[in-house]
Amino acid sequence: MDGPMIEARNLEKRFTVRRHREGAFGAMRSLVDRGGNEVSAVKDVSFSINRGEMVGYIGPNGAGKSTTIKMLTGILVPSSGEATVAGFTPRESRKQLAQQIGVVFGQRTQLWWDLALADSLELLRHMYRVPEKRFRENLNRARELLVLDDFMHTPVRQLSLGQRMRGDLAAALLHDPKILYLDEPTIGLDIVAKARIREFLAALNRETHVTVLLTTHDLADIEQLCRRIIVIDRGQVVYDGELGALRNRFGGKRHVILDFDQDPGDAISTLAGNNLEIVDHNGPRVRVAFDRETTSTPRVLALASHHGTVRDVSIEEPAIEDVIRQMYEGPDSQHP
Amino acid sequence: MLTLRQECRIAIRIAGIRLRGQIAYPASFWMQIFSSFVIHAAEILALLAMFNRFNDMGEWTLGEVAFLHGISMTAFSIGDTIAVGLDSVPSQIREGEFDRVLIRPLSSWIQTLVSEVSLRHLGQCAQGVVILGFALSWTDIQWTLQKALFMPVIIATGVALFIALFTLVAILSFWTVNSIEVVNAFTYGGSDLAQFPLHIFDRWMRNLFLFVIPGGFTAYYPALYILGKDDPLGMTDTFRFLGPLVTAGFCLVVAWGWNQGIRHYRSTGS
Repeated sequence: MDGPMIEARNLEKRFTVRRHREGAFGAMRSLVDRGGNEVSAVKDVSFSINRGEMVGYIGPNGAGKSTTIKMLTGILVPSSGEATVAGFTPRESRKQLAQQIGVVFGQRTQLWWDLALADSLELLRHMYRVPEKRFRENLNRARELLVLDDFMHTPVRQLSLGQRMRGDLAAALLHDPKILYLDEPTIGLDIVAKARIREFLAALNRETHVTVLLTTHDLADIEQLCRRIIVIDRGQVVYDGELGALRNRFGGKRHVILDFDQDPGDAISTLAGNNLEIVDHNGPRVRVAFDRETTSTPRVLALASHHGTVRDVSIEEPAIEDVIRQMYEGPDSQHP
Repeated sequence: MLTLRQECRIAIRIAGIRLRGQIAYPASFWMQIFSSFVIHAAEILALLAMFNRFNDMGEWTLGEVAFLHGISMTAFSIGDTIAVGLDSVPSQIREGEFDRVLIRPLSSWIQTLVSEVSLRHLGQCAQGVVILGFALSWTDIQWTLQKALFMPVIIATGVALFIALFTLVAILSFWTVNSIEVVNAFTYGGSDLAQFPLHIFDRWMRNLFLFVIPGGFTAYYPALYILGKDDPLGMTDTFRFLGPLVTAGFCLVVAWGWNQGIRHYRSTGS
């Protein structure tokens, strides 16, 4: 297919927040009462995502992440603006689009609570009309990579969160979707389960070139999976570009940890001032922070070697959390 | 794009898989059906008690009223069995569960029908058939081939109308998440009304039941035809056969309403 896989053009979604009315007649009145305040959950969102991209869609709570995704899946109809996904307009061709997308909402399952995972998957096979052979192949791949065999015949309501998420992922991929929407896919999972899901997603994207749009609060997900991020705040895109470029632009200092063979003593403090900052000095270990625009790691090493023999060096990139926090709080931001 | 037939076939498959789980506990399965049968036996007892005091109801005999009871109850219970999933639409919307319906390549309405599968209302259906059997033995119907062929049409029309009414109630929950008990008057009230001869009701109620909710066209008028009775309301004889047409029109309006509801769906936060 030519052109982008996902394209959003000036998407907007307004909701009317109505007063809650009590009692049976209150319910009847809220049916006819058109009053209330309009709020825009998504004000003006435009972006374009190509086939095979894995894009992180991030922003604070209430920024409009889920609302955008719901418009791109056909769950919500935009108040204005247009979306084209896999060549379809979601609101006009909801069912055709559904055949092309897989969706995982971390907060709620797409499976049937009262059915065993195997039965849920069989239901979905009929729903998406997946050919028997293709179904077997996809099911086997999922069983192997997501390790489903232990709980294939357990009712979904009895699964642990991590098991359920793996089941949900298997379900979302049965019909070979071109696009995978992941809304908080690692929420509430332990480190091992998170790592397993991330590895699976990375391998999947590498092998099938599925396009992935991922929202998450866990920025480690983004760091490990996405080269590109789109940051949304108050219903508007505030950043769209490479993760690395974001780091450069919004600072976030790089940290270098120097392990000397012995404590360099107080003399080390003279390092500071060369666009460097001593963050921590504990025996032979010294942590130095610097701005990557003005200083480089070799220069830090060269300067440090005046104070003793450096046995080991490790570099820490600024945490994406800090970068994004800085972005919201920085001088360009409209935040108070 | 799937045709309606393909969609229905998939829905039946889904219902089958869901039923399989329930039949795994046969005792509880039959118990549900049996208790529904017993509960609805009370209705026929009430009718018998009424006729024990009065000889007729608006000049209709016990058998004739029982006939009306039989066809309405049968149609209502089949409709209820098919549409049982629609009952959960308000809670699905309130809890944001409706999202998943909209990300699947199947009609949202058909998915909703099979979102819950239960055969418990078939007990009521059995009761309806029993009453119909009594009615046929208590009345002296002059059967013709046309009448015999029209019987399944009457039941099917009634089923369609009741499903449409359940859908109508579900549609309202796209606009208000508060449960509205009042609207049950349309469904359960409609079913009760359809069990009695229309001419015993007040004029406004008759009009409501003919021209707003066309229950009169799916039970009372076809019954006049089968029983070979005159219409005390003096309407044209065409009314007796209008049921399928009027119901089709009603269903179209409800289908339009459902699509409006989907467009209006707001999901939940997160």
